[in-house]
Amino acid sequence: MRFDLLSGKPLRIIAGVILLFNGFFPALWIVFTSLKTESELRVTPIHYLPTDPTLANYVRAFTNQPLLLYLFNSLFIAVCSTALTLFVATLAAYALARLRLRFRGLILSVIIAVSTFPLVTLLVPLFQMMRSLGLLNSYLALILPYTVLSVPVCTLVLVSFFDGIPRDLESAAMVDGCTRIGALFKIVVPLSAPGVFTAGILAFVNAWDEFLLALSLNSSPTFRTLPVGITLYQGEFTFPWPTISAALVVGIVPVAILIMIFQERVVSGLTTGGIKG
Amino acid sequence: MSQAVADRQETEERQTVGGRFARLMDMGDGALAFWLLLPTAVLLLAIIVYPVCRLIYTSFLSLSLTSGLPASFAGLQNYRDMFADPVFWSSFWNTVIITVVTVPGALVVGMALALIANIPFRQRWAFRLALLVPWALPLAFCGLIFAWFFQSDYGIVNDVLRRLGLPTVIWFNSYAWATVAICLTTIWKTSSFMALIILAGLQTIPRSLYEAAEIDGAGRVRQFFEITLPLLRPAIAVALIFRTITALQTFDIPYTMTRGGPGTSTVTLAMYIRQNTVDFLDLGYGSALAVAMFALSMIVTVFYLRMIRRGA
Repeated sequence: MRFDLLSGKPLRIIAGVILLFNGFFPALWIVFTSLKTESELRVTPIHYLPTDPTLANYVRAFTNQPLLLYLFNSLFIAVCSTALTLFVATLAAYALARLRLRFRGLILSVIIAVSTFPLVTLLVPLFQMMRSLGLLNSYLALILPYTVLSVPVCTLVLVSFFDGIPRDLESAAMVDGCTRIGALFKIVVPLSAPGVFTAGILAFVNAWDEFLLALSLNSSPTFRTLPVGITLYQGEFTFPWPTISAALVVGIVPVAILIMIFQERVVSGLTTGGIKG
Repeated sequence: MSQAVADRQETEERQTVGGRFARLMDMGDGALAFWLLLPTAVLLLAIIVYPVCRLIYTSFLSLSLTSGLPASFAGLQNYRDMFADPVFWSSFWNTVIITVVTVPGALVVGMALALIANIPFRQRWAFRLALLVPWALPLAFCGLIFAWFFQSDYGIVNDVLRRLGLPTVIWFNSYAWATVAICLTTIWKTSSFMALIILAGLQTIPRSLYEAAEIDGAGRVRQFFEITLPLLRPAIAVALIFRTITALQTFDIPYTMTRGGPGTSTVTLAMYIRQNTVDFLDLGYGSALAVAMFALSMIVTVFYLRMIRRGA
């Protein structure tokens, strides 16, 4: 089950430290930067730890840009598209996992093909469509594409979870007078809660991370998402790095918490269903 | 057995329970599947199939919203313009270079990270988290963080170079160094995803294979190349397809690190599509560029699928 290329304890510890450093250093460095004053930043050789830590940058991050609004927009769009994705994907996955379908193989291939679809190519037509529907600068303009972005992956994750639930339980429920749809929502979904949850996290992270469509379709400040908003602290030639860093920390924290609590599910979701990186 | 009971029960139910809703809920497999798959189908038709058709159609139009002229059929003019456009070619090659460098780069680094994460440490959650954080970090955040790392005066990269007595680099003033910075950032961001996929593959390899190899006197390096690598092939193939398709769409990291600069030297195909569509509102030309990207990713997908089929 295990294969170790490295033997010897010191070597292993060094390797482990490299892995931890690789994963955590960038985020850690941003935290340090966010606590430094603008003047401390401009000394060479640079200070690694802030000598005089300050929270002023966090105040500036919230006042120079409507960071709270960006956070809300990102959260709202991600939550809505996750909910919509889960609803649509649960229905599709149930059909694919449980019903005798003639075109099951074909439908699954289409879903896998769609999961590798380059969304960037849709920028022009989506821009046209949203423009003519008057949906540029609206929550819907992003919720719909993000849902489509996640439905294929989530469907694949859910199919594999539904496959693991014994059919007898559903049959028993239906004997007790439950309808098929009733059995789906009362038996199958609760039992595959870990799967639904995993799919949900993938959909959430997809929506939370997306940048190009958010930048292009929602350019007005009212509907701007966090990744787009965070690029706006810089001027033409000025980069207020401590403020940018503070905003980045604020943006990283919600997902970091989510990942920390649910890491096992995230890993299983990434590796069972298709993958999106 | 239970299936039969359920089926019988279902037919009885259908006869006794009145009401259209109840009948709808108890219909046969075919009809039920239709309703269950309908939302997915509607979404895919509205957000993928229809837009793709419209994209191809628009690429044959002369349609610029800034000119104020109505759309007119332009034949292959947009494509002719594209092939004669030096910025298209430089953005095309930038995209190809980023893909060709960062996909294998992320694979090699990801493999190394996966092998480390597979060591039976006691604090496994910390190592898994170290792989998940880069994966979950938005690409745009990642670009900004590394733009600060590579900042020429106070960035940590030049600080380390200085401390090592090496010459420092003004990263974003030249095309070559800016591309290096973009590629390094992309590799850091994407290697952890590769590592997670490879790690899952590693954990399915039975230990007995290694024990047998040990008895035959095969060293660790030979074990790696003769057992680990061949058995990881399916996992690696899937990861490579996804990674390559997303690498061709590279936008966030160069946009946040260089905004395409210096000049337009680090503009990628995705950045050029956005610029023509959103900034210049030249939808006809933007569509032709997007069709080019679509063709590029189709070629890659077909190429990989062939490779997998030949391997299997």
